[in-house]
Amino acid sequence: MSPATDMAVTVGGVRLANPVLAASGTFGYGREYSPYLEPGAIGGLVTKGVSLQPRAGNPPPRIVETACGMLNAIGLANVGLDEFLAHKLPWLTEQPGAVVVNLYGESVGEFAELAQRLGAQPGVDALELNVSCPNVKEGGMAFGCHPGAVGEVTAAAVAGAQGKPVWVKLTPNVSDPAPMALAAAQAGAQAVSLINTLLAMAIDAGTRRPKLANVVGGLSGPAIKPVGLRMVWQVASALKAEHPTVDVVGLGGIMSGIDAAEYLIAGAKAVQVGTASFTDPAAAGRIAAELAAYCTEQGVSAAELSGSLRV
Amino acid sequence: MSLSLKAKVSSNEPVGPEIYLLSLEAPAIADAARPGQFVMLRVSPGPEPLLARPFSIHGADGGKLLILYQVKGKGTKLLTQACPGSELLTWGPLGRGFDLTAERPLLVAGGMGVAPIAFAIEYLCNKFDEVRLLCGVAGTVRHEALIKLFAGRLGSARVKIRYSSEDGSIGRKGLVTDLLKEHFSTSQPLKPDTVLACGPLPMLKAVALLCAEFEVACQTSLEAPMACGVGACLGCAIPAAGGGYLRACQEGPVMEASLVDWEKI
Repeated sequence: MSPATDMAVTVGGVRLANPVLAASGTFGYGREYSPYLEPGAIGGLVTKGVSLQPRAGNPPPRIVETACGMLNAIGLANVGLDEFLAHKLPWLTEQPGAVVVNLYGESVGEFAELAQRLGAQPGVDALELNVSCPNVKEGGMAFGCHPGAVGEVTAAAVAGAQGKPVWVKLTPNVSDPAPMALAAAQAGAQAVSLINTLLAMAIDAGTRRPKLANVVGGLSGPAIKPVGLRMVWQVASALKAEHPTVDVVGLGGIMSGIDAAEYLIAGAKAVQVGTASFTDPAAAGRIAAELAAYCTEQGVSAAELSGSLRV
Repeated sequence: MSLSLKAKVSSNEPVGPEIYLLSLEAPAIADAARPGQFVMLRVSPGPEPLLARPFSIHGADGGKLLILYQVKGKGTKLLTQACPGSELLTWGPLGRGFDLTAERPLLVAGGMGVAPIAFAIEYLCNKFDEVRLLCGVAGTVRHEALIKLFAGRLGSARVKIRYSSEDGSIGRKGLVTDLLKEHFSTSQPLKPDTVLACGPLPMLKAVALLCAEFEVACQTSLEAPMACGVGACLGCAIPAAGGGYLRACQEGPVMEASLVDWEKI
């Protein structure tokens, strides 16, 4: 094994210098974290979800800390597509690393339009469809809980994306995520990313009020890692049997390089670091370095580690 | 420029009941810090508690970053146990601080709100012969530490402090807004042109309304539950006067009172 372990991977049609991406909704539009990360420290980022129109988001309180985790009910607040294209994407395009744009529509037509306009951008490497947000009334998780709806949204986005790879971000709020992954794969997705947050709530016993204005929100952080690992393993196993060219991007509670390695072992080709960036703005870069150190120590490349679970 | 580093604890001493003064060796952050800005502090490196806490910057002195904090929950309780020599992950300085360009500023602090106000006073003392502070406390027992602190850190002859206390044990009995109203009514023609305020939300709301009534500009230092501190999580939403939301960590924590929807907040 050479000292320079090969960390590069190709996942969902995108070549990454290393398998660590920053997760959507936790990394803004990238620039927010530029003071804290060395350029090129991570394989790339997934942007905050972009919708056709700007969205103000939910009333506060929007976040609350829980045991080894946190809940959020942001409500997909974002600057909207026009502002994203004019003022967020140009900076991102100049940075090293892949740019995956997470997008969110309230209808199949909106997903198609977003995919078309974003797919036409040379600086965009892939699209990630958010069919799994638990915090919005229209669209969101409603699309992600039925294989038929996942397939329909995916097919519309793939048709609009002009050859740009389409990834589909899946919700854990189903009894079995594999049928959603298979539907996405069948409809032309090149990767699925999972898990989004777990629908949850927190209550203040003193006031008997919910701690979030939205009452319910999405649980993230180290508390959810075992759920994420289980679902990544289930989905990776199902895809391997039926759609072996479709990749899995794993996320949920990754706080260290070892956590990232566990997701790769479970079958993910790449990982996303989310809530960890809130707890340490340099977390994603640190995790990429720790993962490389682990691979060197184990004498495996990142690609070899993927799906190497011994069962 | 903001940055993240492991800051060594120089000292972390109680200065009163449930009130501590933390000094961190963080020259790069301290040198860049401006009054009204804040830092994120991770009180424990493990997963519990998971999130960093925002703290307003109380002072920056010879490469040391000063944080004045009150024990409120499990995070601040853990922070009291940080020993000199230990390291705390710290990032900052963050957010928009006070605009200190006013000609006749008046500072208004309620309780622990004095933490960032003290830093602003240090700046203003370099510019003016006289800096006026209206300070509301619960009373001499509850807030003896803060009062002593004013006498010490803000003991310059240039700082003119007027107190109000809820129990009447120091200064005028009542709320700091009573003092403010009196000040506005009696300080003509040298009425302040800008009020810089920090304190509990009901106080800030009352200060903002008074300032609007007397047509005085008002900057309020706000807080909100916050995860990242850098503008990414969108957790710290403050309802904006024109609809929508502002981020306490980016458009704040110091916001022009006229930009805030005080009914919805």
